[in-house]
Amino acid sequence: MKVTSRSFTITGALAMSAIVLAGCTAPAGEPGGGSEEPQFEGSLTVWVDADRAGVLEDVAAAFEDERGVSVELVTKDFGAIRDEFITQAPTGNGPDIIVGAHDWLGKLVQNGVVAPLELGDKASEFQDVAVTAMSYEGQTYGLPYSVENIALVRNVDIAPEAPETFDDLIAAGQAAVAEGAAEYPFLVGLDPTAADPYHLYPLQASFGAPVFEITADGTYDPTTLALGNEGGEAFAVKLREWGQAGILNTNISGDIAREEFVAGKSGYFLTGPWNIPAISEGGINYAIDPIPTAGGETATPFVGVQGFYVSSESENQLAANEFLVNYIGTDEVQTALYEVGGRAPALLSAFEAAQSDADVAAFGAVGAEGVPMPNVPAMDVVWSDWGSTEVAIINGQGDPVELWRAMVESIQSKITG
Amino acid sequence: MTSTTPGAQQPILAPPAAPPSRPRTAARSHAQTVRGLLIKIALLGLVDAVALFAMFVLVMRESWLIFAIAAVVTVVINVIYLRPGWLPAKYLAPGVFFLAVFQIFIVGYSGYIAFTNYGDGHNSTKEDAIESIIANSLTRVPDSPAYRVTVVEQFGTYGFLVTDPDGETLLGTPDQPLEEVDAEEDSTGKAVAVTGWTSLGFGDLLANQSIVVDLSVPLSDDPNDGALRTPDGSSAYVYTSDLVYDEAADSFTDTTGGEVYVDGGDGAFVNDAGRELQPGWKIDVGFENFQRAFTNEDIRGPLLSVTLWTFAFAILSVASTFILGLFLAIVFNAPHMRGKKIYRVIMVLPYAFPGFLSALVFLGLFNEQFGFFNQVLLGGASIPWLTDPWLAKFSILFVNLWLGFPYMFLICTGALQSIPEELSEAATVDGARPWAVFRLIKFPLLLVSVAPLLISSFAFNFNNFNLIYMLTGGGPRDVAAGVDAGATDILITLVYKVAFGEGTGRDYGLASAFAILIFLIVATVSIVSFRQTKALEELN
Amino acid sequence: MSNPFNTEQGAQVGDRLNPLVAGSGPTDRAARAPRTVQTADGRLLPTRRRRSFPRWFADTGWRHLIGVVMLVFAAFPLLYVLSASLNPTGTLVGSNQLFRVVDFSNYVELFQRPQQPYAAWFLNSLVIGLVTAAGTVFLGALAAYAFSRLRFTGRRVGLLTLLLVQMFPQLLGVVAIFLLMSGIGEIFPQVGIGTQSGLILVYLGGALGVNTYLMYGFFNTIPVSIDEAAKLDGASHAQIFFGIVLRLVAPILAVVGLLSFIGTFSEFVIASIMLTDPQTQTLAVGLYQFVSQETSRNWAIFSAGAVLAAIPVMALFLYLQKYIIGGLTAGSVK
Repeated sequence: MKVTSRSFTITGALAMSAIVLAGCTAPAGEPGGGSEEPQFEGSLTVWVDADRAGVLEDVAAAFEDERGVSVELVTKDFGAIRDEFITQAPTGNGPDIIVGAHDWLGKLVQNGVVAPLELGDKASEFQDVAVTAMSYEGQTYGLPYSVENIALVRNVDIAPEAPETFDDLIAAGQAAVAEGAAEYPFLVGLDPTAADPYHLYPLQASFGAPVFEITADGTYDPTTLALGNEGGEAFAVKLREWGQAGILNTNISGDIAREEFVAGKSGYFLTGPWNIPAISEGGINYAIDPIPTAGGETATPFVGVQGFYVSSESENQLAANEFLVNYIGTDEVQTALYEVGGRAPALLSAFEAAQSDADVAAFGAVGAEGVPMPNVPAMDVVWSDWGSTEVAIINGQGDPVELWRAMVESIQSKITG
Repeated sequence: MTSTTPGAQQPILAPPAAPPSRPRTAARSHAQTVRGLLIKIALLGLVDAVALFAMFVLVMRESWLIFAIAAVVTVVINVIYLRPGWLPAKYLAPGVFFLAVFQIFIVGYSGYIAFTNYGDGHNSTKEDAIESIIANSLTRVPDSPAYRVTVVEQFGTYGFLVTDPDGETLLGTPDQPLEEVDAEEDSTGKAVAVTGWTSLGFGDLLANQSIVVDLSVPLSDDPNDGALRTPDGSSAYVYTSDLVYDEAADSFTDTTGGEVYVDGGDGAFVNDAGRELQPGWKIDVGFENFQRAFTNEDIRGPLLSVTLWTFAFAILSVASTFILGLFLAIVFNAPHMRGKKIYRVIMVLPYAFPGFLSALVFLGLFNEQFGFFNQVLLGGASIPWLTDPWLAKFSILFVNLWLGFPYMFLICTGALQSIPEELSEAATVDGARPWAVFRLIKFPLLLVSVAPLLISSFAFNFNNFNLIYMLTGGGPRDVAAGVDAGATDILITLVYKVAFGEGTGRDYGLASAFAILIFLIVATVSIVSFRQTKALEELN
Repeated sequence: MSNPFNTEQGAQVGDRLNPLVAGSGPTDRAARAPRTVQTADGRLLPTRRRRSFPRWFADTGWRHLIGVVMLVFAAFPLLYVLSASLNPTGTLVGSNQLFRVVDFSNYVELFQRPQQPYAAWFLNSLVIGLVTAAGTVFLGALAAYAFSRLRFTGRRVGLLTLLLVQMFPQLLGVVAIFLLMSGIGEIFPQVGIGTQSGLILVYLGGALGVNTYLMYGFFNTIPVSIDEAAKLDGASHAQIFFGIVLRLVAPILAVVGLLSFIGTFSEFVIASIMLTDPQTQTLAVGLYQFVSQETSRNWAIFSAGAVLAAIPVMALFLYLQKYIIGGLTAGSVK
């Protein structure tokens, strides 16, 4: 048959071409008898976000020169690093090191993807709050590099005096509004559906109501909620009062608050260092003050720490440790990271040097009073109920104390599962 | 301007309707067959070469199962293209190949996860979990000094050459506690070499780093004194562990309290009091996730209202985007109209911007006090677009219309081209009104080609997590009622809240089980609708 | 790679094809010709202008009215993005005073960040988008042809399966793709994690799907008589498909190509897993990094990047319009 013979010819031609091509693509055989010296072949893979990649490029090059280990920087979207790391590390194809926020730590430990990091004697060279934040259940896991927190930013032209208490602030703010010098007594960015427990936390803390009970060693006890104590309920009552007086307004989003403050429409803005560039470019004559107390105790903000973690699946633990402790943990690199991101360095010597910037010093002074944001996995559950309850209270739905109690109950039941 | 192909206006290109002469065609056809044959051989040869290479690598790795699959697939592909006939397979194979590799695998994997406890805390294998627990339980003895060490090796045994804080030099291995030894010291007084042992330089350390970081040299015969470990190969610290793993019994013992943690069968080590060690590991759990899905109170309570809204949302979204898209496609399908090209391009704008960006803009526009709608359009009204249960539903549909109509506009514009002008012209000549022409002739024809897309669009919106999540997060939520479901929650967002927002965190197993259940709902609706399209098709 | 929508090639194919559609061709052209002449020929325009306004309005005027309304509806929210992109300290919706500041520094800065190589992202997105679109059109058209023209067992089930597979909620798609691609990458590093070719392969996995339906519906409207006539002339099935049918369905190929391009262009999740080096990343992945961290969101730069990113999509649509609208229509039904 004609067809058959043709098929036969094709098959033959195919086999030939396949063999030839496969020959071309086959990898070169094993390298012939290697040198005697054990040579480290691997490289460190580090996940960073684009902002920090530039700084790390230099230190990676130095590490390669001096230590002979190449560092491969992989640029990742910061928001995606945590979850991708958790799913990829167990496959053995994940990175050796990631950059991350300290409040991811609980989740990373829960999933067994992060290795403890021994800072050794170096630990004392970092801000205490930074090392505490990078610890979980008594074990240190990360190398901190930055510390940040919110503070009260004041428009000096509208509010010449730093307020002592939150009530003073309200009085001064309302007076400014009455005089027509300002449009809002106070600004803080809130979300219409989730408020912002992070920004409101210092006020809540001044009533003596942290999220979890703090144990003797200064860490959180994730099984005991402290939200629901008397202070918490007093805070709920105040939230309602502030909402009705227009001090807190869930329609004022972070973007709006920033625009209005930059436009000189308020004397006070509760915000973090990330908004300072816009405020200063907007020509506002500003000062950075401690957050005034509302409930009598110190209004301590949450401190957020960022740092680097080593993967528990890394084959290069020793190189990774060396890179973090002796290269990232240096004055030079910490300062460079501070300069590119504007976040205050975690290393004390670099932090001190950065104090020459008045803004960093002022935020740092406020942060010195602060506590790390809880890094226990249970926080994921807390945020959502916490926020939506705050919205309801601020907007005048239901009884504040009852809403607060319902929230505590709901969070408690979700944590215990 | 009417844009016809240049060729259509050339009279030369409109030859008489006589069929071309047979011999000429046959000759050309033959020439092309040879060329086609060559292309075919080249392509298939390329595929076979790649396959051969893959199989070669798989043999080297001894991945026999994948090797077998690759071999079978390669043979099937060759048979399909070498054997005469089997025309459908020839046309379907390339697409189906990609579909099978990249889609079916994903579906299969998601399906498999529903039968496991995969999620936060159960992320990897049992070996990984044990390793992690051991590593995490090692704590440095508080205020203990740092020891300077040199890692040394002798006949494959590794040990530490230690300089203690008092300047004594000691040597030890994992099996041999530290003992004093005479050693060579460098200028700082650190012991760097000892007779009979090879000292490891930094390059050697790196090359053996997994061994080095696992080295644990006991301080003395008493294990409670702890052991030295080095994180960097040059300094060591004393660690103790309060959890000891017993391989034979497969259990952890807490050395401080004596509690024993055993594998409880749920993918975690657990003690008598029910306390689990973190992390656990991934195990198969059978239908447990489905059972939990059916009995979950947080889902069952609001199930009816959420399901109704999910259907309403999906149906109304498809209907509104389709009607607007079709209407616009018809409006701008006018041959005389000037500037329609520009209008058309503007119509595609909402489609050309990142969806989450648009959602954020709308979030601002809908702001009760500062948003454009209230402040500018309605002169300072305070309409709670996103915080009133019904208005929030409306707002969601409105934004989805904005996001979705360009897609419908595009496919309708394309599909309209398949409807011959003659049909409607003939009908118009017969005296039919434009509306009747559209309703009776164009629309049914159009529906034949776009109906499956409408079904698929329905399915997409049924699971349109992103829109809801970005715009309202499922809210507004009645906090006082103690229900997690908000007024705009659809099934998939509710599932997200339940599977990812409670207890230990993200529970992929439970989420996958829910996903399969939702898929069954959508698939049923789709299959029923698909039957209808068959009916539509047969009308023609 | 040859461009399926290449004009010259199209004219050639049209050439070759013409005899076969001759039966229907003249009718089609007869219906079209007068209109074409009327709009294209300037001398005839005065006649049109003299038409009364109500008639003009009833005929085309109202269409413009709708066009303008839709223009506002479609473009208005995006003005906020444009405004933010022109303001160095811009927020997305902080204020309703649009265009208070007009300053192009964000656009300049976009191209001056070594860590965020916008120009490279732009090019990557274009290449990946175009290759994926071409591949999707090709694979989809092959399958649609089989479903439309050939009868085989499992045809309807196959069609239904295509529809259903795409409906499966891909909750864990990301995890599965990572596992799959890192596995494939161990055998073929050229298409593993971190490669653009690997990303394109993953995208091609979605080539058969709803788009196949769109083409399938369109293929069904091409009279089978055309295929049969060609077959009688001795053309092979491949010649019929590549030489004749593909030309006839150009409008839908263009639509599917555009949809696939847009889809790929804005796809974020898979691309962010697959592409790890900033130089290889796409616009969707790269741009998002400007705003992903809550405390350092740079809406101004992000907006500028998004505005520029919309241009290729619109340009492609503008270019494809003549194929979508003016493609050779089949002319008659079976």
